[in-house]
Formats: sequence, structure tokens, C-alpha cells
Amino acid sequence: MHNVNEMPARVATFLAKAEPSWKNVTVDSYEVMTGGYSRLLARAEVSHSLGHETLVLRGDPPKDRQLIETSRQQEYELLLVVADHGVRTPRALHFDPTGADLGTATIVLEYSKCTSFVPWFNAGGSLDGLHLRLAEAIASYQAIPLESLPACMERPASWEAYMTKRIDAWRQASHNHVESLPIFHYVAEWLDAHRPPAAPLVLRHGDFQSSNVMISAEGQFEMIDWELAGIGDPREDMGYFKAVAQAMPPDLLDDTRIEEFCARYRELTGMTELQINPATVAYFLILGVVGTVEQLMQGGAKWATGENHLFTSVFNMSSVLFGQSMWLAAASQLAEPMKQIAAAARGGK
Amino acid sequence: MFSKPTTEQLLAGIAEQLRTTVMAEIQTEPTKILLQQIDQILMGCSRRAAHEIAFVHEEALRVATLTGKDLGIPASLHLDDVVAWYQRVSTALSDEVEAAFASGDQARIDAARAALDARSAVEMQILGALDLVGRG
Repeated sequence: MHNVNEMPARVATFLAKAEPSWKNVTVDSYEVMTGGYSRLLARAEVSHSLGHETLVLRGDPPKDRQLIETSRQQEYELLLVVADHGVRTPRALHFDPTGADLGTATIVLEYSKCTSFVPWFNAGGSLDGLHLRLAEAIASYQAIPLESLPACMERPASWEAYMTKRIDAWRQASHNHVESLPIFHYVAEWLDAHRPPAAPLVLRHGDFQSSNVMISAEGQFEMIDWELAGIGDPREDMGYFKAVAQAMPPDLLDDTRIEEFCARYRELTGMTELQINPATVAYFLILGVVGTVEQLMQGGAKWATGENHLFTSVFNMSSVLFGQSMWLAAASQLAEPMKQIAAAARGGK
Repeated sequence: MFSKPTTEQLLAGIAEQLRTTVMAEIQTEPTKILLQQIDQILMGCSRRAAHEIAFVHEEALRVATLTGKDLGIPASLHLDDVVAWYQRVSTALSDEVEAAFASGDQARIDAARAALDARSAVEMQILGALDLVGRG
């Protein structure tokens, strides 16, 4: 997909087939995009008899250069559902599931008119009120009924069963790695000993971070990159957002904004203060990252054993090293508040 | 062998050349990002090369004291042997963490936690600053 000599003709042929009403399809320009670590991205300017399109191609790298392994089929099906429910996200237009036309399994998306949030912030964008917009963005996709989600997405039997599996994923990530990871075992034991009050299972984005949101001219967030989405706890994406913000500011859920964020989210979802508060969000700063962490560690392990040759796999192990110090610090700070929340939840029953 | 410049110095020197000389010649954004990632990893390797074997032995001593287990010594100071032995050290620490929580003994949990804090401090010393180049 990164062969800029070959791809324009392939894209033109693919679109002529996928959009029979378009005649004389021409790819005027095709350029590789940066911004993501896991998938190949490119932007194509396309002219045809009915007008002009700007499209984004999102495809799988070769097997030995994949940072993480995820399903394009699931991502494509989910993108259709999410857009149909009015969630702000670039719409998926076409899909080449096998790569027969585009060289690798590829989703063709509309090009977003929004601006990437991190560069926008670094250029001086104001954060005023954006923590409230963030609450609204999260609530928007979490409101999608689970029965509407693609059948291929795993349905947990219950919140308790889901949490048990999620916490155990920390231990499994250590067992499956090329060496034992004692801090992962501590994290699992600590999370198990400090579970928050239960919450309804919802669609979670799975990689909800500032580099996966864009901002519109009206100041609304648009979500991209749904490849790690699943069904899980509603607080996971909040904690994940906060976790990544520790390494890559801004943190829209910092101490000055988190209470208002929680209040707005509770207002939109009807969840209680025991379920959604700064401490439970911070609990998921630890638990919420496990899906990405296990993928990154698998990538690093495969690099160590020679099965993967993507240098980013090595680089991203640095994120996990950084994360370990953050998870330990968060566990220390949260132990007492989580005990108080658990006691209050028991008292309320 | 020539021991000086040290491996630490050589790796830091390579990183500096990449940063100050090679980077200016790079035309494409993905390659610039890759070079920035390489720079960070090389600087981590430099710090690691200077202390790696000592760090492992220091941690093994802490874990042996914590668990009361004889963790032995590596078959040699060649890195493969040291790393194989360190795997036993790490596994012993992981097992102790789980046993401490299972016991419910807060003092035992705190002692295991102190060993993990020391481990994390070494990791952060190796890591230095983290810049997630290329994201966003």
C-alpha cells in the first residue's frame, strides 16, 4: 500500500469496480500518511465523472511488520454501525477484505475535515470546555445498543466475568512474554483486590487517546482508529485516555477538570457517583490499558525472537516501561479511595 | 580488546551523529520518525550497556533477600547466561508478589512492592525521557 508508483492505478481500478456510476476514475495524487503506528495509511485524491473525492486508505502491513494483529473485517463492520448511530467518525466507504485489489486488506474511508487534536493543541488550541465535549464523545458511542454491534465481537457473560478476564490478562501477558514481568503480576493482584462498583457493559473504543481524536471547527471531537474496539467497562476508555496523556499531554482529565467531566458523563448516562468518579476513572488508568499493553508486549517478544521486524515494536516497549512506573504510582494513590468506594457501595446495598 | 571508548560512549556517539548529521539529509516524514525512535532506543541502550549486568545482580540480591531463596549465580558473565539467570530472578519475584497477595499479609505485600519500585526506578533510569514521536 506504500508503493506510490503502483497504488494509483490499483486504487482507480478498485474504485471503478466499487462505484459503477463513476466513469473515468483517475487518482490525481496518492501519498503516504503518518500519524498511526499500527496500520498503513495513505491519502488519495480521486477525480471521476461525477466529481472529486479525497479518500483515506487504511490497510494491514505485511505480517512480519505488524505492530499488533487486529481484524480489518471487524473494524469495517464496526465503522458502519458506529457511523449509522450518529457517532462522529469518518465513514467507511469501501472494503477490500483480502487485498486482492489493493494489495492488502484495506478499508477506504472518507477524508475527515477535522484537525488532529494533538497538533491542534500544540499550535495553541484552547482546551476550554473540551473535557465536557470529551464526556459527550465517549457517551455517544457507548449509547449504541450491544445488539447492534457486529456479531463477530465477543460478548462477555457479565461485568464480573469480564473484569476477571481483563484482570487476568495482566498475568497472561507476563506468562506469554519472553521473560517474566513481576510488575504485571502486582498490577493484576492489586486490581483484583480493589475492584470498583459494577457498571453496564458498553462498546469501548479500546485505543481512546488524544492522537486518536480529531477536533471539528465547532469544537466537537471525532473518533478514529477503532481496531481495538470491544465490549467492556464504560470507564476503560476514560482511564486509557488519561494514561496516554501522562506521556503525551494534554490531559483533559487532570485534577482541574475530572470532576466536571464525571458530572457531565453521569448526566448523559444516568450512572451514579459511586460508579463514575475520579478514583474509578483512575483505576481504569491501570486496567484500561491492558489490551494495548498485551499487544505491544507480543510485538516486542516477536521482535526478540525474530518473528517480527518492525522497529516500532521495540520502540513501543518504552511506553510499557513508562507505564509500569505510572501504574505503580497510581495504585499507591488509589488504594484508600477505592477501599472507601467499595465500603460505600456495600453500605448502599 | 579496546575498552575505551566504552560501549556507552559509542552508542551515545552514534545517536548524536544520527541526530545532528544524518537527520538533516532525511527527506520523508516516516523515515524522520523512525530515526527519532532509533535515537531514543540508542540512548537507552547506551545507559543500559554501562550498568546492565550490575543492575541484574543488584536486583537478584534484593529478590533473594525478599524471598529467602537461593537464586544461585549466572553460569558466566556473558550476557546470554546472565539474562537466563535473570529470568529465574524475575519469575521468583512474580511468584512472591502473588504469594504475598494470597497471604493477605500487608507487610509482605509492601516488601514485594518495594522490590518492584526499585526495579521500576532502574527501568526509568534506562528509559530516560519518553517522547512518543510520530503520534498524533
